[in-house]
Amino acid sequence: MARPLRRSSPITLILALVLFLGFIIFTLSPSNPVSSIPKSKIASSSSTRKSPNSPPPVIHYYLNNLTTSSDPIGNRERVLVLTPVARFYDEYWQNLLRLNYPRDLIELGFIVPKTREGNTALAKLEDAVRRVQTGSKKHRFWGVTIIRQDFDAPVPQNEKERHALSAQKERRAAMSRARNSLLYTTLGTETAWVLWLDADIIETPHTLIQDLALHDKAVIVPNCYQRYTEKGKENIRPYDFNSWHDSETALAMAKKMGSDEIILEGYHEMATYRSLMAYEMTEGGDPHMETELDGVGGTALLVKAEVHRDGAMFPPFPFYNLIETEGFAKMARRLGHQPYGLPNYLVYHYNE
Amino acid sequence: MILVSLLPVVCRAYRQILLLIFPSFRQVLLPSLGLSALLLDDPLISTVKHYDLSNVQGTARGWEKDERILMCVPLRDAEVHLPMFFSHLRNFTYPHRLIDLAFLVSDSKDRTLTLLKEHLEMVQADPDPLQPFGEISVIEKDFGQKVQQDVENRHGFAAQASRRKKMAQARNWLLSSTMKPYHSWVYWRDADVETAPPTILEDLMRHNKDVIVPNVWRPLPDWLGGEQPYDLNSWQESETALALAETLDEDAVIVEGYAEYATWRPHLAYLRDPYGDPDVEMEIDGVGGVSILAKARVFRAGAHFPAFSFEKHAETEGFGKMAKRMKFSVIGLPHYTIWHLYEPSADDLKHMERMEEERLEKEAREKEEAERAKRVSESWQDKKGEWEQDKKEIQNKALQKSRERRERGERKSLEGSEQGPHAHAGEEEAEAKRGDWRSNAEANGIEAVEGA
Repeated sequence: MARPLRRSSPITLILALVLFLGFIIFTLSPSNPVSSIPKSKIASSSSTRKSPNSPPPVIHYYLNNLTTSSDPIGNRERVLVLTPVARFYDEYWQNLLRLNYPRDLIELGFIVPKTREGNTALAKLEDAVRRVQTGSKKHRFWGVTIIRQDFDAPVPQNEKERHALSAQKERRAAMSRARNSLLYTTLGTETAWVLWLDADIIETPHTLIQDLALHDKAVIVPNCYQRYTEKGKENIRPYDFNSWHDSETALAMAKKMGSDEIILEGYHEMATYRSLMAYEMTEGGDPHMETELDGVGGTALLVKAEVHRDGAMFPPFPFYNLIETEGFAKMARRLGHQPYGLPNYLVYHYNE
Repeated sequence: MILVSLLPVVCRAYRQILLLIFPSFRQVLLPSLGLSALLLDDPLISTVKHYDLSNVQGTARGWEKDERILMCVPLRDAEVHLPMFFSHLRNFTYPHRLIDLAFLVSDSKDRTLTLLKEHLEMVQADPDPLQPFGEISVIEKDFGQKVQQDVENRHGFAAQASRRKKMAQARNWLLSSTMKPYHSWVYWRDADVETAPPTILEDLMRHNKDVIVPNVWRPLPDWLGGEQPYDLNSWQESETALALAETLDEDAVIVEGYAEYATWRPHLAYLRDPYGDPDVEMEIDGVGGVSILAKARVFRAGAHFPAFSFEKHAETEGFGKMAKRMKFSVIGLPHYTIWHLYEPSADDLKHMERMEEERLEKEAREKEEAERAKRVSESWQDKKGEWEQDKKEIQNKALQKSRERRERGERKSLEGSEQGPHAHAGEEEAEAKRGDWRSNAEANGIEAVEGA
């Protein structure tokens, strides 16, 4: 007995031992679990799937139990964070990770255009997502959906061209389609809130979701500003001008326009005299002060899922001479959902 | 020393073996591979999903390319229609595993939900592997439907606008909750379709249009003409209607098929030729919701069923208008017909009641008449008896006479039958008797008998 033991090398022994252990673990570990239906207040299934090859079970969703309340964490309300990605900024991702809403109640959705820029952004995004979703279980998001856009973005997205008036209609129509494609493929039965967060929003309060939800409004939008340095001094300036209260001038302009034209904010060619939420911020003002809005911007925007479910989308065509997020606000109002803004609650846009 | 230098090699070899046995250790054992741009789901990260929408555009022969269809069925108090609906469902020739079913049951007071789930469990457990469908979602959501669903209310003009807006809302909830990035097509189907080809999905898909609807008729009882155009929501826009729309206020909804809004639009339903080519296409602007096949990209782009007045239309008609506005093709097939269930309207019911009354009346009258006829024939029988007597007397007399004649060597034939007073013999007497009978019959109402 002693001789053969001496002859065999220790490596063989170790290998044998490890293989044996591996075999034991392999046989004892349960086989691939069949994806089961999570028990929740919304969904239930009377039958369970016996094997991955058997037909899917019938799932019953009780949408009457779906709540969107001012206490989203207490009521375990699922939030879908949607971001159309043209570029990937690490600051955006870091800010997203700093949001302190429970991650198991957050689903992420991204749509990426099929451009070279999109490919680059996608690679970075994938890396970032993988790091979080393979990390410790309690820090993972509930789910992440990454979607490649099925149509081409019309204009290159550099700052100067992006803001050219003539290109705006086409660009924002494409943006609307991207937003809608993302929204209507990721909005699930259990989604209670949708947070639109643009890829270039790099700084928000960590309690963004709770703070906005607290107001219990169908559509609510914070004020979007930008940080900049001038002569070595840090300062902030308004960035998103799409949140506004309508003016007689703008309404009269719309009346004279053809149904295929759009009114845009922030262009000298088109003075609307709307009062813009961007200019309603008061230093040190109450961040929870609300104001009724007629148009909203989409850089950061919290929407009750029922508003989108009722059909309020981002019109990719001039709707009451409005397009994209501004058109969305109009459509939400047509469906009886009044949008609100928080002039003193700031989020910050990337500075190019 | 040799062993130590061999160790890394052995370790690497062993890692490979371990990977084969435990693929889930890959994250630990292997550094990131950097294949991110390939847009592939990592089977090990179940929470991250990738989809390329270019792969779900929808093509003319979707069944060959494994294109998934989301079939949406809104239901309310539809218990009675479910068995018929499921018989259609089972007959679909499009591969069932590629069809995801989505139901929205709202404001139902009957057993729709229970019965629906029973039927679904049954089809999913079917031993025939071709029967079970893909993902099945049953959504329960009430919208507080105040308008009742009986036929009169449902089709009453005043109730239309708010009813259609609620209906639109239900459709949008159903679609937005269940449409996934892997759906290429969306098929809307009402539960109360009575007859439709089992190949309807392929038939509509072959046209490769963004939105396409068949013609929808309904069978009628014979007294109503046998058949009738049913779905008047599929139409082409007309100048009259556009002018009319201009005059209406923002929230008004034009509904077809009511005298209140004479739009003079060409309706798909009225253009049907039963012998026409079923593949003939017609551009339309409003669509009916009984059976719509649309590419999922139409809904992804944002087209939906307006639950508000969109260009003076709501629900499916508004959907048609919106899809048009977004430059999608919207097509109707005038000669490809499916048949909606015939449910008698309140007017029809009244009419049928009247018909029933008339029938009963007629029966009663017939019965009465039959009795009268019986009485008549009875009294006739009496007369007949008299006749028989008379006849015999006459015959006797005649016999006597003939005997006398025979005695005289003369012969004369006699005619007469049981059926009538048709004796030729002794005509004088007979004539007198007949007159007597006729006056008798008249007294008994012989005209009524003749009339009957």
